[in-house]
Amino acid sequence: MPSVALAFARIGFMNMLAFRLRYYTGVLTYFINVSVYYFIWRAIFQADPNFAGFTFPQITTYVAVGWIIRSMYFNNIDTEMASDILEGKITMALIKPVSVQLSYVARSAGESVFRLGMLSAPTAVVLALIFPVLPPASLAHLAVFLVSLAGSVLLVAALNFIVGSCAVRLTSILGLLRAKFWIQDLLSGVLVPITLFPAPLREVSRLLPFEHIGFTPLMIYLGKISWSEIATALAVEALWIVGLFAFGAWFWRVMSRQITVHGG
Amino acid sequence: MQGCVEVSDLVKHFRSFERKEGLWGALQNLFVREYKTVAAVDGISFTIQRGEMVGYIGPNGAGKSTSIKMLAGILSPTSGTVRANGFEPFRERARYTRTIGAVFGQRTQLWWDIAVVESFRLLKRIYRVSDADYAARMKEFDEVLELGRYLHMPVRKLSLGERMRCDMAAALLHNPPLLFLDEPTIGLDIVAKENIRAFLKRVNRQYGTTVLLTTHDLSDIEELCPRLMIIDHGRLLFDGGLAELKRQLWSETTVRFDLKDRDQALIFESLEIPGVRREKLSDLSYRLSFHRDSRTAADLIRQVVTAVDVLDISIEEQSIEDVVSRIYQGGLSEAVRCLR
Repeated sequence: MPSVALAFARIGFMNMLAFRLRYYTGVLTYFINVSVYYFIWRAIFQADPNFAGFTFPQITTYVAVGWIIRSMYFNNIDTEMASDILEGKITMALIKPVSVQLSYVARSAGESVFRLGMLSAPTAVVLALIFPVLPPASLAHLAVFLVSLAGSVLLVAALNFIVGSCAVRLTSILGLLRAKFWIQDLLSGVLVPITLFPAPLREVSRLLPFEHIGFTPLMIYLGKISWSEIATALAVEALWIVGLFAFGAWFWRVMSRQITVHGG
Repeated sequence: MQGCVEVSDLVKHFRSFERKEGLWGALQNLFVREYKTVAAVDGISFTIQRGEMVGYIGPNGAGKSTSIKMLAGILSPTSGTVRANGFEPFRERARYTRTIGAVFGQRTQLWWDIAVVESFRLLKRIYRVSDADYAARMKEFDEVLELGRYLHMPVRKLSLGERMRCDMAAALLHNPPLLFLDEPTIGLDIVAKENIRAFLKRVNRQYGTTVLLTTHDLSDIEELCPRLMIIDHGRLLFDGGLAELKRQLWSETTVRFDLKDRDQALIFESLEIPGVRREKLSDLSYRLSFHRDSRTAADLIRQVVTAVDVLDISIEEQSIEDVVSRIYQGGLSEAVRCLR
């Protein structure tokens, strides 16, 4: 199984290579995003230099690193799956003796490796040169941050597989994909730190997996949560990953019974 | 077990959502949905033995693709059973698909934007093909399909014929005992078709691969499949040999006579031949048609040549296209009557 997963990851990587031009513009997009948030936060911190328990350099780092890691964990397997299912291309995944979940998730992992090199790394260099980005709290924090980031990649892949599976029942899945996109960006804390949410929304967020995608690794990077909190957060993240993969596998089994592929 | 297919009472219903028209209808659709059940496959039974090459034909929408997809483990049957290679395809998909190959002519299993050979490498891993087997098979594919030239090109740059060769090779890389082909020659030119057919014949002869193929090109069937099954409206209309089908549905025989000169033509015109329809094609050639049950061609020819000087005689066979289009047009009941 692992060698098959690697082979799929390789295909995902090669596939991205075919579209590498798209990523040169990606660096610019991320730079613009970070700049916009930088200036908004600067205005806020001029009024209150210790807003929401952050210092201005901390919030700048939060925004910059937040977008850099988003460029890596982000993937499109929900959209790809949806179009494969709606266009009937899913047939080709189903005639192979490989779990459909494994084939999509492994490919997305290959894509993440590609993004890391082609998008995240150049974006990180550009942002670090232009904005005052802080280094990680300590080497130990950096190591744990990377572990948590690997978890983010898996978490997003597991979630996207579930969302993509819904296409079996829905003829128009665009709305769901959009909603998922914005909910993920909002609740993962990439737009605004979770700690700034109104209390009820914060409670809801605690019950959902999204904050472990962005907020948890960022808090670890900045050293803003204690080691015991880190341990709890990582354990919860791991539970979510296992749970969502298991649910995804079950959900796909139920959904695949209802697949209809007409014509051809 | 390997290479065998047993299907009994196979049924597949699709539930389709009935849309109401107009603005009011669209609003109603939001709250009340009416569904219509369509039987794409409606009780099919057959058995295929190891090493057989079976053609599966029927008009568009007859249920061919749906049944092939159930056999390949892609769709779950509504009822009835399928056993293929000793597995229950949909339920044991992961193990079953290891033992089959499939080509869907209108789709490709190759990765569109990357070199063909990358797709092959992935398939090698998936099916755990050993290095030695992989090398041997690639060499063979190169000999018959001339794959070598395309291996390093991305699939999107290949012509349809080239892509189909690659897809065919991809489906056979792990040398499966059972192969499903859904319109493998669709859109191909005559040379590409010949190429694919020759390859299939070779695979079948060499490895005893069982092949079930759907097609709209009946020459595929004539060249490849000793047995054919005809399906329409989800039901099997015919299951048997091509010759048998022709014998059963081929009611008219036509003999064409080319005569020596005008005088002979006059004599020919005056001949009394009962039960024969006469058609003048030109001054010196005539076509005579008669019902198979009323007389034989030999008998007719003997009668003509003893009376007239004949230059040339040809017995014109009804083409398989004629036979099959009669089945399609006649619909279920007439065709079944023909076959009884």
